[in-house]
Amino acid sequence: MKKFQISNFKFQITKTYFLVILLIIVTSALRLFLVGHVPPSPDWDEAALGYNAYSILHTGRDEYGQFMPIVLRSFDDYKPALYSYLIIPSLFIFGLSIEAVRMPSILFGITTVVVVYFLCRDLFHNNKLSFLIALLLALSPWHIQFSRIGFESNVGLSLNIIGAYFFLKGMQKYYLLPLSVIAFVASLYVYQSEKVFVPLFVCLLIFISFNNIKKVSKKYLFSSILVGLILVMPLGFYLATNTNALARAKGVSVFSDTSNSTQTSLRVRQDKENHDYVGLLIDNRRVIYGKEIIANYLTHFDLRWLFLNGDVSRHHAPFMGLLYLWELPFLLIGIYCFLFSKYSLNTKIFIFGWFLLAPLPASVTTGVPHAVRTLNFLPTFQIFIAFGVFTVFEKLLRSTYHIAKIQIKYLVILFSFCIFLFNFIYFLDQYFVQQNYYNSLDWQYGYQEAIATISKLPAKHVIVSNQPPLDQSYMFFLFYLRYDPNLYQKETRFASGGFRENHSFGKYEFRPINWKDEKKDSNILYVGRPSDFSESTTALKRIEYLNNEGAIEIVRGE
Amino acid sequence: MKTTILLIGIVLLAGFLRFWQLSTLPPSLTWDEVAWGYNAYSLGIDGKDEFGRFLPLDYLESYGDYKPPIYAYLEVLPIKVFGLTEFATRFSSAFFGTLMVLVTYFLTKRIFFSSSKKEWYGLAASLFLAVSPWHIMLSRAAFEANIATFFIAVGVWLYVSWIQDKKSIFLFLSLTSFILSMYTFNSARIVAPLLVMLLAFSFWKQILHYKKLVGIASLIGVILLIPAIHFFLSPQSKLRYNEVNIFSDVGLVKQSNQEIANDKNAVWSKVIHNRRLIYSIAYIQHYLDNLNPSFLFISGDGNPKFSTRDVGQLYLLDIPLLIVSILFLFRKRIDYWWIVPVWLLLAIIPAGVARETPHALRTEGALPTWQILSAVGLVEISFFFKKQRKIVLSVFLGLFTLSVFYFLHGYYAHYSREFSGEWQDGYKDALLYAKTHDNEYAHVVFTSALGRPYMYTLFYEKINPTTFRATSTITRDAFGFVNVEKVGKYNFPKEIVAMKNTLYIVSPSELPEHAIVLKKFLLQNGQPSLVAYTL
Repeated sequence: MKKFQISNFKFQITKTYFLVILLIIVTSALRLFLVGHVPPSPDWDEAALGYNAYSILHTGRDEYGQFMPIVLRSFDDYKPALYSYLIIPSLFIFGLSIEAVRMPSILFGITTVVVVYFLCRDLFHNNKLSFLIALLLALSPWHIQFSRIGFESNVGLSLNIIGAYFFLKGMQKYYLLPLSVIAFVASLYVYQSEKVFVPLFVCLLIFISFNNIKKVSKKYLFSSILVGLILVMPLGFYLATNTNALARAKGVSVFSDTSNSTQTSLRVRQDKENHDYVGLLIDNRRVIYGKEIIANYLTHFDLRWLFLNGDVSRHHAPFMGLLYLWELPFLLIGIYCFLFSKYSLNTKIFIFGWFLLAPLPASVTTGVPHAVRTLNFLPTFQIFIAFGVFTVFEKLLRSTYHIAKIQIKYLVILFSFCIFLFNFIYFLDQYFVQQNYYNSLDWQYGYQEAIATISKLPAKHVIVSNQPPLDQSYMFFLFYLRYDPNLYQKETRFASGGFRENHSFGKYEFRPINWKDEKKDSNILYVGRPSDFSESTTALKRIEYLNNEGAIEIVRGE
Repeated sequence: MKTTILLIGIVLLAGFLRFWQLSTLPPSLTWDEVAWGYNAYSLGIDGKDEFGRFLPLDYLESYGDYKPPIYAYLEVLPIKVFGLTEFATRFSSAFFGTLMVLVTYFLTKRIFFSSSKKEWYGLAASLFLAVSPWHIMLSRAAFEANIATFFIAVGVWLYVSWIQDKKSIFLFLSLTSFILSMYTFNSARIVAPLLVMLLAFSFWKQILHYKKLVGIASLIGVILLIPAIHFFLSPQSKLRYNEVNIFSDVGLVKQSNQEIANDKNAVWSKVIHNRRLIYSIAYIQHYLDNLNPSFLFISGDGNPKFSTRDVGQLYLLDIPLLIVSILFLFRKRIDYWWIVPVWLLLAIIPAGVARETPHALRTEGALPTWQILSAVGLVEISFFFKKQRKIVLSVFLGLFTLSVFYFLHGYYAHYSREFSGEWQDGYKDALLYAKTHDNEYAHVVFTSALGRPYMYTLFYEKINPTTFRATSTITRDAFGFVNVEKVGKYNFPKEIVAMKNTLYIVSPSELPEHAIVLKKFLLQNGQPSLVAYTL
C-alpha cells in the first residue's frame, strides 16, 4: 500500500515536470522565434535602456553621468533603471544589440507563465485548470506582445506574480516571505505604474490572508518588513529629493490635461450670470477630473479595445486586439461561473480584486486605454476564460446527445478546435508577418542600415534630423555605433539628449534640417526624412520602411 | 393604490421632463424636424405631402432621402391644434415618450409576472426611463426613432400579454404595433421582424396550439406590409443604407489584398484574410461600439443632438445595478427574463452595419431594456439588505438624484449655448425678419450654406403647400437629391449674385465687402449664424 502511494507520488511529480517543461517549450518557442527581427527594430525606449546598460557596464554611469542611477533621466521621462541593470548580463553574451535588450523581458515572460501555473494550482487545487490558464497565457497575444520586447512593464508583471506566489506560499513556508517582499520592491524599481499598483496589490494580499498572517512567526514577519523598508529607502530618498523624478508622471496625468478648462470657465460664467449657485458647485474642475478618471478606468472594459483593436500600434498585432476573439464568450461565461463557483470568498476577492485594481494606474493618466500600463490585468483574463472553457466543456462532455450514431459533442469539440486554430494561425500571421509590414515606422525602423552605411562613408560632419518620426535619433546612433560611453560622457560633459533638444557628439550633430539654408559642404553628410530634402537632390542611399515607404535618406552636401 | 399613485407621479414627472420648455429646448428645429412639421401641415391641408403625393404610405421623400412616413401622420392632429410651431412639431415624440414610461411599467410586470416583486420592478423601470438622459433627449425633438421604440415596446408588451391571457385581440394589436414600427423608422424594419421571430420561436408550443389564430394574424400582417414591400425592393429604399454602411469601405478590400500579398499569395492566407471575414470583423467592431462604456456611461453619443456630452446615454450609477441585475437574472431565471437581454442585443444589430458608431438613435430600440435591467438590479439590492434597506436605498437614491440633477443642469443651463449651432439656430430669427421686411424688396436671396433653407421658409412663412408646388422651381440631380431653387419671392441659389433691390441673408463668411448690414442673427453663444444685408 505504501509502495503504491510512493509510486503514485512519483507519477504526480513527473506529470508536473512534464507539464512545466511543455509550458516552457511552448512559451519559449513563441517568445524566441525570430527574436530581434519581429518587431523589426528596437524603439527609442529599448535603444535607451540598452545603451544606458552598456554605459553603466563600462563606466558605472548613465548617459548623463549619473553614478549607479536608480532612475534614468533618458528622454526626460525618468525611466526606473532596474531594467537596464538586467540587460547587463546579456550584454556579455550578445553584445550591445536588440537581442540583448529584449532578453531579460523574454526570460521573465517565460518565468511568468511557469509561476502562474504554480500560483493557480495553489489557488484552485485543479491541475488541469491551472495548466489551461498557463497555456492560455503562453498563447496570449497580449503577453506575447510585451514579453518579446524590452518593455519594463513585462518584468514588473512577472515580479508581481512571483511576489504574490511567494506571499501566499509564505503563509506556510515563512522563509518565502522576505523573497516576496524583495520581488515586490524590485517591481517598484522596474516600472512607473507599479508604484500605484504594487501597494494596492499587497494590501489586497494582506486582506485576503489576514487570518493566516496572524499565525506567521513574528521573526519572519518583522524581518520581511525590515527587508522591505531597507530596500525601498533609496527609491524613497530619491523621490523625496529629486523634483524631476515625478516629471513623467505629472506629464501624463489627467490633471495636466487642460482640454476641458475653457468649457468649464464658460459654464461658470453663465452660472454666475444666471445666479445659479448650485450650478457653480457642479461646474467644477474637480468634478471634471473625477469624471475623467472614472471614464479612463472604464475605457479598459471596452470590448472593442480588448478583442479587436488594441491601442497604439506598438502595443498589439495589426488588426487584432489583446485577446483572441474566440475568448469573448468564454470570458463572460467564465466570470459568471467563477463568481458562483465553490471556491472560498477570499480566493474570489483576490481574483476579482486583482482584475479591478489592474486598470487603476492607467486611469489617472491620459492616453487610455493603455495596454502597457494595464499589463497587470494578466493573467486574470486567462483565469476567467479558462473557467469558461472548463465549465462549457465539462457540460459538453457529459452530454450524450447524438444524431445517427455520431455523438454531437465530438463534432462540437472538433468545430471549436478549428475556430481556436483559425484564430491562433491568424494571430501568428498578424504578428510574425503583417506586423513588420504595417508597423515598421512605429518601431522606428531604418537606423541599423542607415548607420551601417554612414559609418562606411567618409565624412567630417554628419547632420542628422531629430524631427518626427526621427525624434531621439541620437540614441539610435549611440546604440548602433556602440559609441564609447567614456568618450561620450567626456564630449557631452554629462549633457545628454533630453526631450527634443538639439544635440551633438563626435562628428554627429542632431538638429532639424532646413535644406535651403544648409551649407552643403561635400564633407557633410545629411541624414533625414525624405521630406527634409528638395526633390532634385539625389540621395547616396535611401532606406525604406518595410511597406516600401521612404524612411531615411542619406545625402552628401554638394 | 399606493403603486397607482406612485405610477401617476412617475408619469407626470416623465411628462414634465419631456414637455417643459419643449419649444425652446432643444433651441431650434433641425432640418428633419421642419420637414416633418411641414409635411404634416401639408397632409393636414390636402392629404398630400410636400411634393404632392397623395397619402403616401410607403415612403416620404425628404431632401432626397426616403423616410418611413408615420411620424408625419401622427403630427397632423397636433399641428391642426397648435398650429405650425416648434411645440406642435415635437408634440408626438414627447407624447409617445411619456406614454412609453407607462408602457414600461406594464411591460416589466408582464415579463416578471410570477415574481412577488414585479410591482417594484415595474415602478423602478418606469422611473428609470422617466429620468433617462437617452430617452429624454430623444423625446424632446421630432425623432421618428422615438416613436418606433414606443411601438416596439408596445408590441412586446402585448405579445407577452397574449401569451399569458390568450386573448386574441392582444395578438392582433401586438402585430399591428410591430408593423407600425416598421412604417416609422428604418432600424425598426430589421429589429421588429427579428423580435417577432424570436418571440414566435420561443413560444412555439402556444403558436402551434393556436394555429388558426396565428395564421389569420400572419395573413393580416402580410397584407399590412404590402404597401411597403414594393418600396423595400426598390433601389430608393437602399439609398440611405448605401450612404451609411461599412461594407462599401474600399480600405477593407485593400487590407485583404495587401495581407495576402504579404503572405506571398499563399492559399491559407487567402482563407484567413478573406474579405468576407474582414467585413465580419468590421461588423463586430461596430456592433461592440454600441456597448462602449464611455458611450453608455460617460459622455454619450458623439453627436450632441442625441446627448449633452456631459453624461452617458445611461447614468454612471447604472453600472453596479446592471452588473447585479445581469448576474441575478442569469442565476434565478425568473419567468421571461431572457427577453430583456436578447431584445437588447437584437436592437443593436442594424446599428452595427453603419459607419457612425456608437449611435444613440439607431440603437434606441433597445430601450427600455437597459432601464428594466437597472430596475431589477436596484430592487434586488434593496431586498438583499433587510435591516439597512432604508439607509442603502436613501444613499443610492440620493446619489441618483444628484446625477439626474447634474444631467438636467447641463441640459437646461448650458446645452443651448454650447450646441445651438447643431440645431440650425438662426434660421427662425432670420426668416421672421425676412417675413416682416420682404415687401420692401423685389427679391429675397437666402444662402444654402446652412442647408435646406427652402424648408425653413415654408415652415416659418407658413406657405400653403399648393402655392409651394405651383410657384417653386425644383430640380433633382443624378443621385436623386432634391434641390429647391425658388419658392415665390425667395431664391436659394448655389452661388450668390449681386443684385439691386434685394434682401440677402447669408452666412457671415459669405458677406461681401460693400454690403449694408441690416441685422445679424446670433447663435446662443453669441457667434453670428446668419447676416441680413442689402446692396
